[in-house]
Amino acid sequence: MSDRRFLIIGLDCFTPQFVFGRWRDKLPNLKSLMEKGLWGELESTIPAITVPAWMSMMTSKNPGKLGFYGFRNRANYSYDEMFYANSLAVKEPTVWDVLSQAGKQSVVVSVPQTYPPKPVNGSLIGCFLTPDTDSEFTYPPELKDELWKNVGEYIIDVKDFRTEDKVQLIRQIYQMTSRRFATVRYLMDNKPWDFFMFVEMGPDRIHHGMWKFVDPEHPKYQPGNRFENSILNYYQYLDEEIGTLLEKLGDETIVLVVSDHGAKKMDGGICFNDWLIREGYLSVKEMPDEPKPLKNENIDWSKTKVWGSGGYYGRLFLNVKGREPDGQIDPADYESLRDELVAKIEALTDPEGRNIGSKAFKPEETYPVVNGIAPDLIVYFGDLNWRSLGSVGNPEIWSFENDTGPDDANHAQHGLFILYDPRNPGNGREYKGAHVMDVAPTVLNGLGEDIPADFEGKIIK
Amino acid sequence: MTQKKTERGFTVWFTGLSGAGKTTVSQLVAKKLIERGKKVEVLDGDMVRQNLSKGLGFSKEDRDINIRRIGFVCHLLSRNGIVAVGAAISPYKAIRDENRKLIGDFIEVYARCPMEILVERDAKGLYKKALAGEIKNFTGVDDPYEPPENPEVVFDSDKEPPEESARKVIAKIEELGYLEPEKTPSGYTKEEEEKVNERLKALGYL
Repeated sequence: MSDRRFLIIGLDCFTPQFVFGRWRDKLPNLKSLMEKGLWGELESTIPAITVPAWMSMMTSKNPGKLGFYGFRNRANYSYDEMFYANSLAVKEPTVWDVLSQAGKQSVVVSVPQTYPPKPVNGSLIGCFLTPDTDSEFTYPPELKDELWKNVGEYIIDVKDFRTEDKVQLIRQIYQMTSRRFATVRYLMDNKPWDFFMFVEMGPDRIHHGMWKFVDPEHPKYQPGNRFENSILNYYQYLDEEIGTLLEKLGDETIVLVVSDHGAKKMDGGICFNDWLIREGYLSVKEMPDEPKPLKNENIDWSKTKVWGSGGYYGRLFLNVKGREPDGQIDPADYESLRDELVAKIEALTDPEGRNIGSKAFKPEETYPVVNGIAPDLIVYFGDLNWRSLGSVGNPEIWSFENDTGPDDANHAQHGLFILYDPRNPGNGREYKGAHVMDVAPTVLNGLGEDIPADFEGKIIK
Repeated sequence: MTQKKTERGFTVWFTGLSGAGKTTVSQLVAKKLIERGKKVEVLDGDMVRQNLSKGLGFSKEDRDINIRRIGFVCHLLSRNGIVAVGAAISPYKAIRDENRKLIGDFIEVYARCPMEILVERDAKGLYKKALAGEIKNFTGVDDPYEPPENPEVVFDSDKEPPEESARKVIAKIEELGYLEPEKTPSGYTKEEEEKVNERLKALGYL
């Protein structure tokens, strides 16, 4: 029987330009893994966001096959019914499902889309889609009390992310990370495992909260500010914590550090629905005097052809006759209207009239199959340099304040991986062309297991 | 192995004056419970008096026998995992309390309505006859009604639609642990989903 084990250190939004570039020499443990192993950028899903990226990674399936395109998805073609893509939406086997079937044991901690917890041959702690700590968020259920006694209260996520008190925000992020690593160390020492994976959300939270203090390219950056090293300090802290895990491992364990997407500065937001109103596609019954979330009750569906939603990327929906309850677009005009919208979105400029480089993806051109109900267009404003704001009543179609609170960064299409197999070292080679869907096949290959025929990714080697 | 409370049978007992809404709301509650996967039997006072209590009158003695009979059947059903929904005027507190003690898993629902509204509604034409002296021993007119002191639910049928009253009864059944809270398509209760939604919005994902 093989003695091989596999550890995935998941760091949400951990970004290559810092780890491979700017701060490479300041992160000794990660640098050592890179020099001994393989490393490179890891292409995320479209859209490049936590949901669906982590599950695409764990199932080696594209979002179209998975049938969810973000955290919240249309349940049907009504205007209102949505579902949250938690573990119940994941119908494809994850890498730990495959390993459980093969009799191997897994420990899974805080991987996005693992709440509610499903049975596994091993232990599982659910992710930040857990409502609160009263919920049953572990498998087996008794693990919750065991963790409370031995590690302390599980921290679901940063509580007060929208605070302008950045000292408090940073403190919360460190507390969450520290508790997570303590939990991981406890489980590594006390539970049998062949496969161990955890995802730390801290990098994502600190990027969104602190980027403008750190990146000289950010429009709001001020040199010499007191938080200039906040993200570096946090990366260095993560590197130290990673070191405490590496100390426990022998050459039987393959280590993979991985992120679901990267990060970059956010230049601003496009007020998507205000833009659609201005272009004549969307009609509201009452325009608020100041920015307010757009509620379905305020939309005049009889005069609306298109509506959008906010987030790190934009989602656009068409109001089609025979499909939506009060559809206005003739199905024969669907494609021409979509093409018209793609052209207009890609022509969007900033307030100075410069094209911002937006992209609009048609699901059927992006995925081999489209399950569930995908947006009619997935939009990257400014190629993700700008976010989408769903509110209406904004004075302009551009906003430099997020409608849900302070946010300085958006996601980048490429995250990273560092893969080190002590028995088959990569010797510091940079590997190009890796995709999140390659992770699950790489894990199974490392553990000597067959790869299911419908896994879409390749082995990284 | 201890049975989970959500797997136990229980009795929902509707009490109140004639025309106050017991039958209407109890039917809505029964329907909802069936949709939520429960096995339900309704023992409505008017129907029971056609069979199980046929021949009984409206003297105190006969009323007590009637309510005890309904309580007995509710007990048999409840202890076998069925939800028994009783809906009868059941005017005497002592007998209602007897049933509560017998059954144990007992949820009392008081259908309340001012007399003047009931007389105005007079859905079965009985108040008119009672006030004219054509019917004797009519509860609320010339026979007493003893309102419950601590019912689990009270609804005022002159102030809200029956659907709202039924919603309150279901919410109490959930609160008492006899029914798992209704889940959204994502597997959350409404309250849980709101928490997750607020968190995702605050984190910028929505």
